[in-house]
Amino acid sequence: MSRFEELLGDFFYRPDEDTAGLLELPEAPADSSPAPKEERPGEHLVFVLEGERYAVPIGKVREILRVPPLTEIPRAPSSLLGVMNLRGDVLPVYDLKMRLKLSGQPPRVAGPPSEVEPLPRAARVLVVHGPDGDAGVLVDAVSEVVKLAPSQVEPPPPGLSGERDCVVGLGRQEEQLFILIDLDEALG
Amino acid sequence: MSPPAKGLSEFVAEANEILDLLGRDLLVLDEQRRSELDPDLVNRIFRGAHSLKGLSGMFGQDAMADLAHAAEEVLDRLRLGKIEPSAPVVDSLVEALDALQALLSEASREGHEGRSAERAKLLANRLSSLASFGPPPSSDELDEIGLPAQIRAVFTEYEEHRLKENVRKGVPLWRVRAAFDLTDFDVGLAKVNDALKPLGEVISTLPSAEPGAGSGIAFDLIFGSKSAAERIHQALIELPAKLAPLSGQPAPAPSPVAEEKAAAEPARKPATTKRHRVSVRPRRPTEAPPPARVELPRLHAEEGPTPTERREPDLSLRSLTQTVRVDIRRLDSLMNAVGELLLIRANVQRLAESALAAGAHAVSKLWGQELSRECRALERKLDELQTGILDARMVPLGQVFDKLARLVRRLAREAGKELDFAVSGGEVELDKLIVEELSDPLMHIIRNAIDHGVELPDERAEHGKPRRGTVSLRAEQRGNHVVIEVSDDGSGLDESRIRQVAVQRGLVVADQAQEMNRRELQNLIFLPGFSTARSVSAISGRGVGLDVVKTNIANLSGIIDVSSEAGRGTTLTLTLPVTLAIIRALMVSVSDRTYAVPLNSVLEIVSVEGSEIRTVERREVFSLRGRTLPFMRLARLFALPERPLSRHFVVVVGLAQERLGLAVDELIGQQDIVIKPLGGKLRHIPGIAGATDLGNRRTVLVLDIGALMEEVISPERRAEFI
Amino acid sequence: MGSKVLIVEDSKATREFIAATVESVPGVEAYPTASGLEALKLLPRHRFDLIITDINMPDINGLELIHFVKGNPSYRDTPLFVITTEGREQDRDKGMALGAAEYLVKPFQPHSLEALLRRYLRIA
Repeated sequence: MSRFEELLGDFFYRPDEDTAGLLELPEAPADSSPAPKEERPGEHLVFVLEGERYAVPIGKVREILRVPPLTEIPRAPSSLLGVMNLRGDVLPVYDLKMRLKLSGQPPRVAGPPSEVEPLPRAARVLVVHGPDGDAGVLVDAVSEVVKLAPSQVEPPPPGLSGERDCVVGLGRQEEQLFILIDLDEALG
Repeated sequence: MSPPAKGLSEFVAEANEILDLLGRDLLVLDEQRRSELDPDLVNRIFRGAHSLKGLSGMFGQDAMADLAHAAEEVLDRLRLGKIEPSAPVVDSLVEALDALQALLSEASREGHEGRSAERAKLLANRLSSLASFGPPPSSDELDEIGLPAQIRAVFTEYEEHRLKENVRKGVPLWRVRAAFDLTDFDVGLAKVNDALKPLGEVISTLPSAEPGAGSGIAFDLIFGSKSAAERIHQALIELPAKLAPLSGQPAPAPSPVAEEKAAAEPARKPATTKRHRVSVRPRRPTEAPPPARVELPRLHAEEGPTPTERREPDLSLRSLTQTVRVDIRRLDSLMNAVGELLLIRANVQRLAESALAAGAHAVSKLWGQELSRECRALERKLDELQTGILDARMVPLGQVFDKLARLVRRLAREAGKELDFAVSGGEVELDKLIVEELSDPLMHIIRNAIDHGVELPDERAEHGKPRRGTVSLRAEQRGNHVVIEVSDDGSGLDESRIRQVAVQRGLVVADQAQEMNRRELQNLIFLPGFSTARSVSAISGRGVGLDVVKTNIANLSGIIDVSSEAGRGTTLTLTLPVTLAIIRALMVSVSDRTYAVPLNSVLEIVSVEGSEIRTVERREVFSLRGRTLPFMRLARLFALPERPLSRHFVVVVGLAQERLGLAVDELIGQQDIVIKPLGGKLRHIPGIAGATDLGNRRTVLVLDIGALMEEVISPERRAEFI
Repeated sequence: MGSKVLIVEDSKATREFIAATVESVPGVEAYPTASGLEALKLLPRHRFDLIITDINMPDINGLELIHFVKGNPSYRDTPLFVITTEGREQDRDKGMALGAAEYLVKPFQPHSLEALLRRYLRIA
């Protein structure tokens, strides 16, 4: 893990015994303008899946959590990892890798502790506003927040968009490449 | 003939409803007083007073009728723009409302001759004098816009006024012609209204007298709007509606064309004496404001309410009932809080126990006992609190039954059936949420019973039955469940036809259909895809959308069952839990996972040896006191790693007369749980009713016993598995 | 065969009161509806022998309903009563001009409606 990632980790996840690291996203960055956060164009949260960087509009993300204990739902579609309890609400947690065809099988992360595969330390659950209400999305790591001007976004390469229809574009910032995804499409 | 006692309570209920609305609207009117009035608001208040007048008159409440009449007169002039909403006007209206409330409260305590009547008379006089100020009837501006006489003939005075107001303000008028099917014109019309309302005012809706093509019906909506024609067109683009300028109306162009239109309209009356020139420009401010504005302040000084009058003791603001209405969501959040409190109590109890266990020190032991006792007291109080909240959610089923009774009358007539509707058990109480959700399924079932169950009078006579059929609706509480039965004495289900349809549709294979017992066969009507319009009449049509009814009932953790005897009738039985919010559950463990089984469906727990398990048609069964029950391994059903066990704990669950043995690894204990629904797409996961939080941040799933029994017992699953 | 009477009245208590009065006449069935739109839905499904309508109602008003009924060959001959209230003479006159047979001013006594019913439905 790079030093930057560590710093970011500390920034987002102050240790908190009681809630095992629940933390609201900071309300607004230091340079925030009076405009409401959701409407600021271009701010994206970047997360990692299988080494690739993905980005979603930050307004879609409600919270970032350390992976809580998940309860598996018998006979549910395999992309549904399980449900978690967020302050009394029961939310589904989904696996994006299956949807993006990055893997063919979901990780075993729900169920009794003896059967659960350990996840990388950096793994997180993003609580996002989905088409059917709030939902959790498991990611390998959260890396940063980037601002992408419209000029820095290009349409997805043809081959990519056909198979992975939730990919809506590619963001480019200097040497970095971010795959922009439409969460509603990915979770729908 | 004086209205019966039941009539009086209905009168009080409706009058109360009207007064409530009037009260709210009058407050808004008072706020709007100094700005532009919303014509809909004023009209609504007028209509409220108008209805109240008619209503009170019909029920012999003369004092109320007179006062409402006086208020109506004032409001009528107000909505027609003949007087201004000055302070004395609005104050008097508010006072009239109070007085009406007082009169109603006297009326509801029959026989109580109250002192409110006198006061009401005074108020009525005051209102009448307020109404009598105002200009003489104005000349007919609508003559000048040359509206076709046959259209004018159907406008009420108020609609005429709104039309004039629009003309006066230079708002272009349109005719929107919308044509619909006879079957759903109300829906279509509502859509057109919704499309138009944001752009202007729908002044009148006229059903076109010309018989439409085929089974259609057309409406002309007279619509005033300043929006560009293009925008209105745009709003109507998806709808079966055509827009045209209202004939006789100056086209939405800058020049007045009244003369020309006048010539084109032969049916016009001769011009009245005071002739206004109609122009699309707003009336100039120099034109006289209504004289009422000048008169009113004086009137106020002379006849305004005196302070003593205001402190009339009868004028109580207290409402007639001791009831408060609470949003059910508030009760939900209270219930959640109770759930959390129960968890905290459990933690405290644990602390007490460990203090007791560490009992080497006498002090610690004493402290533990003390804590333990307090804990039990806390538990009792929490129980009370929980019961109290649950009770607050309970409403009598009669709320739905009454609505259904009215519907039955209408449906029976429409279907040409003669029938009696027998209702019992309206006093049985259920969770508000369940009662709300029940009205649609029950309506559906009853509609089916009337349309397809009960035969036509002649047909009944032929079969030696009385011409009048009977549909009955019965509710009864049985323990933690409420059973609702809808039965008819109609022709019953045609089993051979059900068999035939089910096989045709591939819902079961022919052999299966032959082997099914009568009950299994009859329950096929609940399968999705069973009913189609064609099959409906042929099999007494019990299949119409019954799969939807079944799903609705299942969502309430209930089950539905049918039993029918050819020629004798059909009974549908709904079994529902009394409440959904909080339940006592048996916590069980399967393959290291914990699940909650609602205790209200648990009949007993038995232990079964592996050797006692047999198979019938490859399904596992076991015997319990001579009865053979399905044996369902939860681990296998949920595809969890199974443990080799020689002895099983079997939770025997039952709903209605069905029984099922649920094999689990361990029993953990009983607990009160607050069920949280699984939202979104998770709602449709079979066998899971919801989730609950046990306080260790782990979510535990609550089994949906009704659905699990369904899976094991219903032939649809058999069709899938065999 | 009994007679069918369509009732159009938006006030629930008044509607039920009229319905009860109508049904107190032997062999007469009341079909109460709460609005002009509801009445329009019911009209083609039955042969009504009489229509009783209020004038001031939301959606389709009573005058419009009379206009519709009187302009339609299938219903034109059905006698029609309007219910009005004191002070709404203008609306009442319009209703009569459009072809209503009788009017009743609220509040009216059940027996006056009953008498009219018997006359128009030819019931002794």
